[in-house]
Amino acid sequence: MEYVNPEGLRLDGRRPMEMRQIRAEIGSVAKADGSALFEMGNTKVIAAVYGPREVQNRSQQISDKALVRCEYSMANFSTGDRMRKPKGDRRSTEISLVIRQTMEACIMTHLMPRSQIDIFVQVLQADGGTRSACINAATLALADAGIPLRDLVTSCSAGYLNSTPLLDLNYVEDSAGGPDVTVGFLPKLDKVTLLQMDSKLSIDLFENVMQLAIEGCKAVANYIREILLENTKQLEYRRGL
Amino acid sequence: MVGLSLGEKNFIQGGIAQDLRSDGRKRLTYRPVSVETGVIPQANGSARVRMGATDVISSVKAELGKPSSLQPDKGKVSIYVDCSPTAAPMFEGRGGDELSTDLSVALQCCLLGGKSGAGAGIDLSSLIVVEGKMCWGLYIDCLVVSSDGNLLDALGAAIKAALSNTGIPRVLVAAGASGDEQPEVDISDEEFLQFDTSDVPVIVTLTKVGRHYIVDATSEEESQMSSAVSISVNRKGHICGLTKRGGAGLDPSIVLDMISVAKHVSEQLMNKLDSEIAAAEAVEDDS
Amino acid sequence: MLHSKTFVKKTRGGKVNKQVREHYLRDDIYCGAPICKVCDSSAARLSPSASTILIVDTNVVLHQIDLLENPAIDDVVMLSIVLEEVKNKNMAVYNRVRALCSNSMRRFFVFANEHHKDTFVKEMNKESKNDRNDRAIRVAAQWYQNHLGGAARVLLITNDRENKRKAIEEGISAETIESYVKSLDQPNLLDLLVQPASEDVNMEEVEDLRPSKRKVIYAEHKPMSEITSGLHRGIYHQGKLRVNRYNPFEAYVGSESIGDEIIIYGRANMNRAFDGDIVAVELLPQDQWYEEKSLSIADEEDGEEDVHLVPNSADDAPRTTNVVQGSAGDAKIMSSRPSGFVVGIIKRNWHAYCGSLEPMPLPAGSGGTAHALFVSKDRRIPKIRIQTRQLENLLDKRIIVVVDSWDHLSRYPSGHYVRTIGEIGDRDTESEVVLIENDINSRPFSSQVLACLPSLPWSVSSEDLANPIRQDLRHLRVFSVDPPGCKDIDDALHCITLPNGNFEVGVHIADVTNFVLPGTPLDDEATQRGTSVYLVERRIDMLPKPLTEDICSLRADVERLAFSVIWEMTSEAEIISKRYTKSVIKSSAAMSYIEAQARMDDSRLMDPLTTDLRNMNTLAKIMRLKRIERGALTLASAEVKFQIDTETHDPLDIGMYQIREANQMVEEFMLAANVSVAEKILKHFPVISLLRRHPSPTREMLEPLLRTAAAVGLNLDVSSSKALADSLDHAVGDDPYFNKLIRILATRCMTQAVYFCSGDLSPQEYHHYGLAAPLYTHFTSPIRRYADVIVHRLLAASLEIQKLPSIFQDQPQLTSIADNLNYRHRNAQMASRASVELHTLIYFRKRPTDTEARIVKIRANGFIVFVPKYGIEGPVHLAPRSEKGSGEWFVDEQQQKIKKMDGSLSFSVLQTIRIHMEVVEPQPNRPKLQLTLI
Repeated sequence: MEYVNPEGLRLDGRRPMEMRQIRAEIGSVAKADGSALFEMGNTKVIAAVYGPREVQNRSQQISDKALVRCEYSMANFSTGDRMRKPKGDRRSTEISLVIRQTMEACIMTHLMPRSQIDIFVQVLQADGGTRSACINAATLALADAGIPLRDLVTSCSAGYLNSTPLLDLNYVEDSAGGPDVTVGFLPKLDKVTLLQMDSKLSIDLFENVMQLAIEGCKAVANYIREILLENTKQLEYRRGL
Repeated sequence: MVGLSLGEKNFIQGGIAQDLRSDGRKRLTYRPVSVETGVIPQANGSARVRMGATDVISSVKAELGKPSSLQPDKGKVSIYVDCSPTAAPMFEGRGGDELSTDLSVALQCCLLGGKSGAGAGIDLSSLIVVEGKMCWGLYIDCLVVSSDGNLLDALGAAIKAALSNTGIPRVLVAAGASGDEQPEVDISDEEFLQFDTSDVPVIVTLTKVGRHYIVDATSEEESQMSSAVSISVNRKGHICGLTKRGGAGLDPSIVLDMISVAKHVSEQLMNKLDSEIAAAEAVEDDS
Repeated sequence: MLHSKTFVKKTRGGKVNKQVREHYLRDDIYCGAPICKVCDSSAARLSPSASTILIVDTNVVLHQIDLLENPAIDDVVMLSIVLEEVKNKNMAVYNRVRALCSNSMRRFFVFANEHHKDTFVKEMNKESKNDRNDRAIRVAAQWYQNHLGGAARVLLITNDRENKRKAIEEGISAETIESYVKSLDQPNLLDLLVQPASEDVNMEEVEDLRPSKRKVIYAEHKPMSEITSGLHRGIYHQGKLRVNRYNPFEAYVGSESIGDEIIIYGRANMNRAFDGDIVAVELLPQDQWYEEKSLSIADEEDGEEDVHLVPNSADDAPRTTNVVQGSAGDAKIMSSRPSGFVVGIIKRNWHAYCGSLEPMPLPAGSGGTAHALFVSKDRRIPKIRIQTRQLENLLDKRIIVVVDSWDHLSRYPSGHYVRTIGEIGDRDTESEVVLIENDINSRPFSSQVLACLPSLPWSVSSEDLANPIRQDLRHLRVFSVDPPGCKDIDDALHCITLPNGNFEVGVHIADVTNFVLPGTPLDDEATQRGTSVYLVERRIDMLPKPLTEDICSLRADVERLAFSVIWEMTSEAEIISKRYTKSVIKSSAAMSYIEAQARMDDSRLMDPLTTDLRNMNTLAKIMRLKRIERGALTLASAEVKFQIDTETHDPLDIGMYQIREANQMVEEFMLAANVSVAEKILKHFPVISLLRRHPSPTREMLEPLLRTAAAVGLNLDVSSSKALADSLDHAVGDDPYFNKLIRILATRCMTQAVYFCSGDLSPQEYHHYGLAAPLYTHFTSPIRRYADVIVHRLLAASLEIQKLPSIFQDQPQLTSIADNLNYRHRNAQMASRASVELHTLIYFRKRPTDTEARIVKIRANGFIVFVPKYGIEGPVHLAPRSEKGSGEWFVDEQQQKIKKMDGSLSFSVLQTIRIHMEVVEPQPNRPKLQLTLI
């Protein structure tokens, strides 16, 4: 299968180093303390943050820092084939855990002892890169909720097909069975917080592919900053400042 | 759970009694409704409906299947509702299951008519491809993204909008198949079947707070209700389904009174919805 | 870096699933014309002086690819939508177009119109896919026209009348391919044109010219939907049609659905199917399952399994229809084998065919269009009708022709001329035909490939010596033993007696991977070629000559880089330790087999080199014995050797290739090295190793051998390779050649060994039957086999001295490389055989000979004989073809005997007879070797 044609275009018309179109919207769930919608191409996720608030289950309370919880769920209509999966299947549990750990690392939990922060991510449409989209949405939602963060954490994936490193794989490219490297990145601190890969890749290629994913994360971070700035301006404006 | 102080409770109840609700609405006024169609491109039809802070998405997926042996001349439609934890932390894990099931059942009986399919808002016989052998099955999946009361009305509206957005590919059946085999089919890329959704009813929920009833209750108002009656009414003004929730009993005369109010309100809602759907479709075609 | 664009979503209602794909439209796609001022012209491919830029539509590409490949057509813009459609319709054509587009000599430019923001078109309501794509092509043409302004004329080439009309309406210049080619004023190009179906009326004329031919009308093919449902319901059976090599009127379709082969008799039942087509077959009612008893020697096993030289020309089966008619009358034997007829063709296997035109009188007034019938060299292919304007030139030439269509109203398929190879009967021409028929690339290496070579003169550098991964073995007494005149020496040996009485034995293989680096054009070319091809008079190299004959070749007295396998062995040839290393060696002698043998045999010689040879030979003999004890088969083949006149390149003499002890000695160590390397790489890379396996023959495959053996009273045990090897050893007859003959018969029952990727099969399947080895690979000839190059890289990676190239990450790609290697090897063998056959024919053309032959198979009308002296095999007919009925002979199947009715004469299998060999020419330009009984 030809994923990159000799003219250097991918199946959807992107060049290997290009991301899909990204779009974000803050405050898409009115009732939540913080929320955001994040789209990477046809992948579309909503994240909602509730908290910091009282710990619901006393036994889970932590005396010196906040408890961070996360739940990932996929809508029935989010994939091409309609499916009705029971909640909490292995894949969802694993992704929930990944997102929780990634977000926990950048939340300044020590400032909010004995409290609880819930992050809920809901996939509306899946077209590859749902993990990354969820992390990006969660970052925006946390920022919207005003939760103190060390840095914005952004995520992007990259893969390797037809002997070419490709940024931000979509579903078709992801299904090709090649390696898929997902990176979570703290742009200001210049640190990688999440790194996952399936399939295999030689070490020097891995370096290239990971670097590409990091570049993707940086691009996402710039966009997220813009969105937050715009949102803040709007808030100021509404307050009449 | 909405935690309210005594003062707040009195304020809400008092407002309803004086026909001036906390957000400035009258008892029988809806919040602004906005409709967006085609939000899930992978589905055959989809719509997102917002009523105030209530936000739901409905999608329609069509799959070819075999009609049931009892009704060989009818297609199949099923409705599932899922409450996303984003809407409220209490829906986390299996927390939303109860409400989801409750809503699914209510929607089914309001929109799909009796067991035989008679009186359904959707013409089930239009879903048949080869009688007794092949039909379309419509899976209507709804997701509650944000909840601020009156989910049932919003879901009903979303389903109606999604159905009018739905296009089902035309099926060409190859001749020559006989006996028990499934016929060979070819699916056309170019032609789509559109549904006539004018018969799909809208749902109007009347929530009884104190001695009055209101439409489109917010979650704060819902926390003060004694009972609620959801009535689905089609364009002709026929009652298509009715469910009552909430523990408190209702005087039958009040029920009848509610029905006539609902019939009246539904007309406004229907018109409002139709124009919103038409506007949304126009926007989608444009882009 | 994020270059986001407006995008539209494209939806496809596939089956039931609605799929959504993003489709980005770009503003950075350039037109490819250097004259353009706006676009970035760094990647421009069109010529700067192009006055006309052609845009072709999908059907033009699909049908006129031969024309497009002609350099007269240039400055073509290939739209991505056209490429996409071509890819979906015909992969072979797609690959050819792609090759054109990447060929730096040609000016073909791919324009990604589907992703360009101004040329993308959205599907309109109720518009069919084809209409939409045609519109896209017109929009792109229009865009080019506006974009280039008056700088160049943009011409849309389409044969679709509607499309052309719309284009002209929209102000685009458009022409049909015919009118364009005519406007070029190069009449020979017109021959390359595929004739449109509408001109069929003209084509009928050729039939009228030949009143003797009766017009056969084939049954119409069933529509695809009916075939699918028919296959589904089990009325039809799907399979690949294989036409009998010896009788083109008989074909087989291997069908999984009935688990047996369906026989198809006659062209009418074959219903326009070609050899290799995937067809749908309907069975005939059982009472029509007859076998047409004919004079033809129909070999049921097809030629596939025989590895012996069977000159096509000698066992020619009658081809003309009258023979079939003549025999059809007298006997129709009921058969238990199902027979059927073709109802439809699922996938065509049409490609280019080599052959010549059937002789015909020149029509009056040369230069006009003439119709002619093309006869393929491959007898399985029917005659093909072509149109030509240069009949005069083509009549005595070998030409290449491509099939375009086969209408059910016409007896023969129609095609068109592609190119001329040369004069019929000319040795070079015929050799070229051999290469083309076997898909062998004999073109010179491209400049990109040659650019990868190190500069000459090359010598081992100080860096090579200083490299820690490379061991300096120049002090060892290394030598090589090869056939005389061998220039591509890829293996050398050494042997030292150790103080403890053991031996250190080293096999040194040319370090080809030091020069052929992964991912380079040189490597890509070698991957494609797969193997060197040895013809009688020339060699077609896998790697360019400087590498093959100089830099890699382990010649005497020069320092060379090598990859070495070094064992410590006891005097009982037990391997105690193994070591693998890259090395530098200096061969002290490059001997021929004869030389080495002479040294060993000459008891007066006591020099160190000879001692080494003798020690090695002793070890090799023990190793060989052990191998045979394990059950390795010593098979025999009848390889022949030509003596070629250095001036004329004509064969002077022909004889069996003699195998000496020295050959066996070298072979033994090569086998051992291959086995050791196979173990090593598989241990490190369990799923991506390239190995070689030889499947055990099934009982059915051995059936012909058993039948023959039984007839001469020999009982062979075929339960295992060991049992078979033993019973072959015991098969000793009265004459010395008997055993070899049996072994030759056994060899032809075996399938070929094949390369495979270890991840594709389970370890039990890795077994190499012939060598009785659980693991085997090829390591020892990297100069002439690409498989060895891959194995070298694997071995280097397992020693952690080199990184594994990225291709190994991709198991499917590795599998496809292995498949290609198998294909290339088979073709190389076929070509070698064909080359020997060709030279045999040339040899006997002037030398009719009487010689001894052995009967190997009894047939209804004669027998097949094997001529040991010349390594050929062919039929001897007892009853002349013209004589009516073969009634005076009858066959005893059980005894494998053929007897004359009156009992006066009888022949049995393996019997020695004397025959006369002579080249005859029953049809013009089809010389063949005829064998007759004396």
